[in-house]
Amino acid sequence: MILIMKYVNSFCHSQKLFFFAYFRFMNRLLLFFFLLIGKAAVSQSVTLTLTHEVNHQPMRANKAYYTAQGDTFTITKFKYYLSNFSFTDENERVLQLSPEYFLVSDDSAASKKIVLTGLPLGRYKAVSFMIGVDSIMNCTGAQSGALDPVYGMFWTWNSGYIMAKLEGTSPASRLPGHALQFHIGGYRGAHQSQRMVQLKVPFAVTAENTAHINLVADAATWFNGPNPIRFSETAGFMAPGTVGDRIADNYSHMFSVKTK
Amino acid sequence: MNQKATYVIMAFSLFLLGISLRGRGPGPGVTYVTLKLPDSLPKPAYDFSKNPLTKEGIALGRYLFYDPKLSRDSSVSCGFCHQQFAAFGHFDHALAHGVYGRMGTRSVPTLFNLIWQKDFMWDGGVNHLDIQPMSPITAENEMDMPLNELIERLKCNEKYQQMFKAAYGTEEVTSQRMFKALAQFMATMISFDSKYDSVKRRAPGVAFTPEEAGGYSTFQQKCAGCHKEPFFTDFSVRNNGLPYSPNMNDMGRMRITNNTGDYMKFKVPSLRNVLVSAPYMHDGRFFDIFQVFAMYDHGQEKGSTVDPLVRGMQLSPKEQRQLYMFLNTLTDKHFLKNAEYSEVMIAD
Repeated sequence: MILIMKYVNSFCHSQKLFFFAYFRFMNRLLLFFFLLIGKAAVSQSVTLTLTHEVNHQPMRANKAYYTAQGDTFTITKFKYYLSNFSFTDENERVLQLSPEYFLVSDDSAASKKIVLTGLPLGRYKAVSFMIGVDSIMNCTGAQSGALDPVYGMFWTWNSGYIMAKLEGTSPASRLPGHALQFHIGGYRGAHQSQRMVQLKVPFAVTAENTAHINLVADAATWFNGPNPIRFSETAGFMAPGTVGDRIADNYSHMFSVKTK
Repeated sequence: MNQKATYVIMAFSLFLLGISLRGRGPGPGVTYVTLKLPDSLPKPAYDFSKNPLTKEGIALGRYLFYDPKLSRDSSVSCGFCHQQFAAFGHFDHALAHGVYGRMGTRSVPTLFNLIWQKDFMWDGGVNHLDIQPMSPITAENEMDMPLNELIERLKCNEKYQQMFKAAYGTEEVTSQRMFKALAQFMATMISFDSKYDSVKRRAPGVAFTPEEAGGYSTFQQKCAGCHKEPFFTDFSVRNNGLPYSPNMNDMGRMRITNNTGDYMKFKVPSLRNVLVSAPYMHDGRFFDIFQVFAMYDHGQEKGSTVDPLVRGMQLSPKEQRQLYMFLNTLTDKHFLKNAEYSEVMIAD
């Protein structure tokens, strides 16, 4: 190292600058390269599988379910965003994964399997995530991937993502066709509908195996939670607002870990 | 260190970097464009680092802007309502038009100097220039075109395959690419070349007439609080005292915030090019600027959300005449005739 420094010192100023710039550039490239090949050895992926239920029964299109208030209803559409995954390990360290956004839709089997990469090897005890899309992605222009507005999860007249959507029917609904239409969103001011979820789930990430976590989302929680919904009064809500906030509070309890 | 190995690693790393960046930004071989803006202006609100202007991107945006295929029955383009000679407002139309003879509920806003604007639409409900076009494209009484169908339509079009490839390096059509191209074209719509601007930068031989100068001083006393120079708007939403119209039942910003404090608040429009972009107000109810003066002078509605800056405003006939003369100096003829924005004929 001393020899190299002596050699470098013999350069004129601009040569020196060039040398250091080159040195730094090569260092970065090497680091990048080692990170790429190193990843396989120090981290693994985790697969989350989502199952949709209503009152602990499998969710089926056009099947009749009941709310705790006694309203009958069916579900024809059930979609939501998940993002900002992080994991807590046994030493209480929180590992925030790089930001990724997933749109889960009941009519797409592929969307119900989420593969998260880059989790360091070790033993974990909890997973956290956001139901919805963080505010920054709501106000920074045209997005792509799961956030592409072609999926109908974006309000055009009052910018922002629809964090979660449940549509169906109920005889109690006074909307045309006895429809139920709940589009929950709002990312700023008094009406922020993103909800953080934390679930206790012990699992290990080893070099040999990908970890699997099975989550259940129970749609009945949308109407049964701390803020009971009666379809005769509220059969739809499609803007940022208090009703949406309340339903988001309800569905923040939607997930549980399935243990066989 | 083994030099050969270094080169191999270097080449491989570059290759990987190339893969990870593919399909994100502009394609290879594009010509980057820098907007020529007067030095006196503040930094634009639009983040060009996320959407660098290119000749190819702007050309694609312009083509999209004038393509009626962006509407359900291929009858209405963006340029159908946003006419260049009216500063991209809708000449002589109170309300926006749509497919199948449908009509909207608000007037067509002018388009220029948009890169300084943070909120869009009359109620400020749209938060970014990129996604603003989503609103008229999908609105039932405007272009009524579902986004996913529109993307499919563009994908199958040979001309678009070429233009997307030129702008982004691959033929892939995505909504993000389409919106960013439209934003690039709209970003180039800059209007700072009126007589007022010449006077301000002390161009030789240009001066306000006494009438114009009188109008400017009235403007500074009574209008400039909201219509702030140099944009002639402060980009805020305010209630200017315009009476509520039971026909339209439009309460402005209140629809966005659910806050009664925002009753009848609408975006403050720029006064640049104002005399070529009649009719006025969010519902186009005034076809003549003197009706607007009259509203401020004696036609205001009283209410708690009416802006203190306009309450009790009085404009004498002389002040009104001089204001008209001054507003005339805000017409930017170079902007209205700039061939770079003019309509592209699209036949297919």
